[in-house]
Amino acid sequence: MAIGNKLDLKTMLKVFLKVCFNRLDLMSTHIYMYCDHKGIPIKLAPLESAHYQSFLSIPKKNQREPWTKSTMLSNFVERLNKAQKNISLEYQPGKYLFGYIIPDHGLLVFETHYALNAEVQKALSSILKKLAISCYTSLVHDSLVKEVRSRQLIEKKVAFQAQHDGLTGLFNRQHMNKLLAEAIQNAQINKKIGGILFIDLNRFKPINDAMGHSVGDQILLTLANRLYSLSNEHIDVARFGGDEFVILLKDLNSNYQETITQAITEVNQLLAIPFIIKNHSYKLSCSIGYALFPLQSNTANNLIKFADIAMYEAKREKSRQGKQYTSSMSDKIKRRLAYVDDMKLGLANGDFKLFYQPQYNHNDEIIGAEALLRWHHPIYGTESPAVYIPIAEESDLILDIGQWVLEQACRDIHKIEKLQLPKTFKKVSINVSAKQLIQYDFQDKVMRAIKENNISAERLALELTENLLVENIEDSIQLIASLKANAIDCSIDDFGTGYSSLTYLKRIPASLLKIDRSFVAKIEKSDESSAIARMIISLGKALNMDILAEGVETIEELNCLKKLGCYQYQGYYFSKPLPFNEFVKLFN
Amino acid sequence: MLNGPFTWYTLSDTFDDFKKGLKLAQNCGAKSLMVLTCTQNTYPEQAFNGLLKTCSLPVFGGIYPRLTHQDTLIEQGALIIGFKEEYQVSVFPDLHLCKSEEALEGLINLELEKNKNFGAQENFLMFYDGLMANVEDFIDCLFECLDHNITIAGGGAGYLDFIQRPCIFTNNGLQSNAVLLVTLPRKITTSIAHGWQIFKGPFLVSEVQDQTIQSLNYQPAFDVYSQAIESASDYKFQTDNFFNIAKNYPLGIEDINNNLIVRDPLLSINGQLQCAGKIPINSMVYLLESNINNLVNAAEEAAISLFSRLTSSTEQTAMVFDCISRVLYMEGEFDKELQVINKHRTSVTLFGVLSIGEIANSDSGVIRLFNKSTVISAW
Repeated sequence: MAIGNKLDLKTMLKVFLKVCFNRLDLMSTHIYMYCDHKGIPIKLAPLESAHYQSFLSIPKKNQREPWTKSTMLSNFVERLNKAQKNISLEYQPGKYLFGYIIPDHGLLVFETHYALNAEVQKALSSILKKLAISCYTSLVHDSLVKEVRSRQLIEKKVAFQAQHDGLTGLFNRQHMNKLLAEAIQNAQINKKIGGILFIDLNRFKPINDAMGHSVGDQILLTLANRLYSLSNEHIDVARFGGDEFVILLKDLNSNYQETITQAITEVNQLLAIPFIIKNHSYKLSCSIGYALFPLQSNTANNLIKFADIAMYEAKREKSRQGKQYTSSMSDKIKRRLAYVDDMKLGLANGDFKLFYQPQYNHNDEIIGAEALLRWHHPIYGTESPAVYIPIAEESDLILDIGQWVLEQACRDIHKIEKLQLPKTFKKVSINVSAKQLIQYDFQDKVMRAIKENNISAERLALELTENLLVENIEDSIQLIASLKANAIDCSIDDFGTGYSSLTYLKRIPASLLKIDRSFVAKIEKSDESSAIARMIISLGKALNMDILAEGVETIEELNCLKKLGCYQYQGYYFSKPLPFNEFVKLFN
Repeated sequence: MLNGPFTWYTLSDTFDDFKKGLKLAQNCGAKSLMVLTCTQNTYPEQAFNGLLKTCSLPVFGGIYPRLTHQDTLIEQGALIIGFKEEYQVSVFPDLHLCKSEEALEGLINLELEKNKNFGAQENFLMFYDGLMANVEDFIDCLFECLDHNITIAGGGAGYLDFIQRPCIFTNNGLQSNAVLLVTLPRKITTSIAHGWQIFKGPFLVSEVQDQTIQSLNYQPAFDVYSQAIESASDYKFQTDNFFNIAKNYPLGIEDINNNLIVRDPLLSINGQLQCAGKIPINSMVYLLESNINNLVNAAEEAAISLFSRLTSSTEQTAMVFDCISRVLYMEGEFDKELQVINKHRTSVTLFGVLSIGEIANSDSGVIRLFNKSTVISAW
């Protein structure tokens, strides 16, 4: 009797049952296997017992019911299992059930229309021993197959994870580097051109901060799916990290510029579709920089770096068309890095100074001053804050500078407080940058500087731009309120140039609104400027805030502001920013 | 209104005559038609397909090497039986595309599901392409998948040159690689006989691939087979006379109850024997022999056994699926077989086909493929 050489348990047993069917002219045949609690066939250990389960029947059904519903068969199998030896039953005249034990593995039942003779039954017992060995082999094989399959699955998963980004499923940075290296090589061999597009979302961070990472992740996932739609055999898409994506364009011909422009347009179109997440609609844009290979470099690292640099340039210029990398961009960066080094040196060498521009009331009495940073470059002379502050903002140097400003201002206030100050003089204000504000210990730093210099907290005020406040609105409100509770006032600088929204202004517990100099310049001649100033003044009054006009340079401007109801001023009409030594002379 | 089955046959091989017969059958009040034609006919395939497709009644049947009507052997022509009941026909097409047991099971289960597992129907005729390779897989699978026992009789259609052509009739035209299961309105009774006896053996089937025996007793199958015949007869195998000798010496697989299932060796290729049916590995096979008398006697016994069991007067139709190789063996004396069957006929009609493979139930109820056998059925 052939058992067959199939290794899968069910297949092997089916072959065996079919042979039995043909050789023994059976009416039906059934195999029951001992199984573990998960229903998986097992080999019984010596003296071990386990429940058996119907494993295979030919034919599959009996009188329109599964065989498991046949009470006669179930009772017979139960009796066979208990007896653990061959049994038989003539269940109706001329029809029989014969039961056999498959050692350590299960039970076998034949249904016949004749009585199997003793010789056949005896022959079966040695066949069943062989069948048991085959069962064991199949079980071992099955478990090996399962193990190999699960290992293959894990290997596949690991291989996938090694190449793909966990959130979006796009290629990851490492794999993109590899793809890029291959693409460069192919481009060189096949004399083709390729491009690498570096994409960075604009103003994604505020969404992530305000709406939470789950929303941010959903947006990234949606965008990833959209960008993936661009991929084909010549285009690969990867997430490089955070809100940065990279697109690799391969096998470009002489019209590569056209293809790249087209790709940038498509990316912008994909971003133009609103992102609907949790019933909210978000509109996003991106900045794109790109570099070409092998024209601009033949190394993956350089190309990514170049595209990244070009992206920053596009972001700085607010360009939506994408920027191709040029070597001048690197030069510019080098210069900026050198400039940052100069600033660091200047800070260490005491080249930075605080100048103070006094502030006056309508009675020409000094009421305070704004501390303004001045840097005297040893080679270039006095540098404009409009140049070095944005550069310091891009690097973390702004934190060191901001801290120095805070401490120096406190040191100066300490000196001032020792003077005979007019009663009208109240505060010295310093400017605070966005990076300083988001430091978790910013308030501690402020309080420490006040304490260390032994000054009254109410002498210090902080100036924050309205754009900076809006970007971190909830945290800002909390911080300003907390500072106010510690007697430190905050003012809103450059008011009118940004959002100027009532909805947030009424929530910010600031004490002073500073009208931006752009509305003050020639205000007496500009209906528009005076209208805006009037609006800001009435807004301040309504919200119980003081109003101070910046950049007052002429008597005409002053008179106009007085008429409009603004009674605090700062500007060249009164005084230019003064070095501390000269500033303190104002109190003599 | 028909009282019994409408029967029409012709010995003419012309398409015009067939069309006349079909027209008559369609107008006789029948609700379904069995159409059987001979391979000798030269019906234009396209026009024939058109006739089947436009036939207003359910139609089933096939093209067979020969047909029989009572004791007449029809070597060319056609036979049409019109039934007063509407027979349900299930078509299993394109079975050659089912390369695995799972695929076959899927196809059969789909059809069974569509037909609600044939409901309470237990009686079937089976027409199939006799040259399709997997008919045994089909019947094994059908037996496994059906949720109740059925009684069945059938035979393989096709051409004796063993070139596969469309040979199964359906209302969608001629088909190859197809099986038709025709549900009968009444109980079918069957009787099987072959008349072959053990001549030599047993031989162990030591290597086999489906229908091809590669080795017997661990030696090339053809060597063992030819030596056994040549040593006991005057036959000498040449390059071109294999079938002429082999038709006299089929192989027999003996089951536990000493029943012989005959397997007809058709070809010898590279020392292997290709048979008209599967042979299980490690089975014991015998060389069989017979003579015309034994074959005729066996057929007569089958006829007596069948017709004596018919007690109901409702069983008016008898159909014979007789293996074409019996004609090839008996040649001019095959008429004797038809005569003895017809002699014992109690049914109104008796007709049949000479087939390539026969289908019937074994004693245990399993559906089996037989070779060189006679299956007589009545319903």
